[in-house]
Amino acid sequence: MGVLVRWIQERVPITGDELRELTNEPVPNHLKRWWFCLGGTPAYLFVVQIVTGILLAFYYQASPETAYESVRYITEEASFGWFVRSLHKWAATLMVASVILHQLRVYFTGAYRKPREINWMIGMCLLVCTLTVGFTGYSLVYEQLSFWGATVGANIADGVPVVGGLAKQLLLAGEEYNDRTLSRFFLLHAAVLPTLMVILIAVHVTLIRLQGVTEFVDEKHPEKDRGSFNFFPDHLYTELIMGLVIMILLTTLSTILPATMGPPADPLTTPEVIKPEWFFYVAFRWLKLFSGTAAILSLGFIVFTMFVWPFIDAFLEKRWPRSEASVWIGIVGTLLIIGLTLWEAAVEH
Amino acid sequence: MSDERPPEETDSGRRGLMTGSLMAAGLLTSYGAAGAIGARYLFPSGPGKRAWLFVARADELADGASVSYRSPSGQRVAIARQGLSGKVEDFVALSSTCPHLGCQVHWEAVNARFFCPCHNGTFDPAGLPTGGPPKEANQALPQFPLKIESGLLYIEVPVETLGGATAMQLDDTPPSPGAGHDPCLGPDCCGGELA
Repeated sequence: MGVLVRWIQERVPITGDELRELTNEPVPNHLKRWWFCLGGTPAYLFVVQIVTGILLAFYYQASPETAYESVRYITEEASFGWFVRSLHKWAATLMVASVILHQLRVYFTGAYRKPREINWMIGMCLLVCTLTVGFTGYSLVYEQLSFWGATVGANIADGVPVVGGLAKQLLLAGEEYNDRTLSRFFLLHAAVLPTLMVILIAVHVTLIRLQGVTEFVDEKHPEKDRGSFNFFPDHLYTELIMGLVIMILLTTLSTILPATMGPPADPLTTPEVIKPEWFFYVAFRWLKLFSGTAAILSLGFIVFTMFVWPFIDAFLEKRWPRSEASVWIGIVGTLLIIGLTLWEAAVEH
Repeated sequence: MSDERPPEETDSGRRGLMTGSLMAAGLLTSYGAAGAIGARYLFPSGPGKRAWLFVARADELADGASVSYRSPSGQRVAIARQGLSGKVEDFVALSSTCPHLGCQVHWEAVNARFFCPCHNGTFDPAGLPTGGPPKEANQALPQFPLKIESGLLYIEVPVETLGGATAMQLDDTPPSPGAGHDPCLGPDCCGGELA
């Protein structure tokens, strides 16, 4: 045993103490609150997605002739296929939800302010990537929702001035959905976007390590929040407990509400009632309220505003100090998102 | 101001600048070319295949009448006659693809309108927008090009199908005589879908 340890240490010249020193970062006390685990939650779910996604890719065949049948095979015939697919589906849902909640937490605690503006923007990129992975993911099943969702999504891209037409052609590999489209969605979903996300997560975490976590002190209990504790093992244990809770939740949801299949894609008939996944309800309702270009440009403007929000917030703070404008704008924005989502969920058209 | 550095040092600085510039230019050109080739490779090489196909004899379609035409790719096209000049301008071929975001409209006989279920767009029988986002943006249903040659009406439609399916498979009906020839003339033939 000693020989083996010596052999390894000669080739990996680092001791356990040095490794602990390297990874052990003092974590502010407020991170003991459970809702401050929302950053680690999507990261954990991302790992679940990679593992279940690799398993699904063993059977999935990305072409219009075979995609639906291969998903049916996974769901109905492959051993535990239904479970793997359901885990993938529910982990995607929870990942989107936790990314949104994480962003809300960062927003309302002002953790995006100087010097963390760049990390907020990287977080925004991760949010957009997460939503795009979700969109390309449900396009792969090649059911009715997949086909019409992809068609509408590509035409939204087409509505963007100047580069829209190019983006649509690149996405669909042609003027409209064709035999070469599905493989592009698959590559985006399973290779391009996950790679981009791994890079973005690495930069996100590196910046957190370099700048440290923002200290958040509850004014009612300041003594409880001041000071710090060790990342290893204390905070790691918290994250592990969170991971266990997520796995229990995922397993329960996958068993009680397993992933099902809708009717296969029919490129000639749009279903009478069609809805995207819940996280696109806001955009879907928005597109019904305004004409194509106005809706697309205003959506783009909103996303851009969110992207550069730290700088807008800094300007507002300078102009109207202590006005808490960002909090009120955040509350109105959140209520608007919830309202539009519920509206779309409640009606057929 | 005179350069007081020894000549060897000045030469070495110039040489360094030249080498650096050449290296930067070389890297930029080679990686730029690789990027451009990659981008061009991803961009589709041309538009989808389209062809002119026979619809019917022009005089078989009465003024005000319409037919439902099924293209080889399975797309349903409403072809209507709106004049008697004998020219191609008498005819319109309405696509069932909504100009808003590309969903398929369907005919609602009760409301005498085309309805798009995606974002609630509506169109009158002539394809003009009457409600929803298409009305706000004034987007009519697109039309397919038509031509008349020797008294025969032709339409230009896409001929590629998804997953190698044929119109027959998509429609689940017996094949019509000749690919793309589904001239289904007369109101009875339209399955009550058109006014």
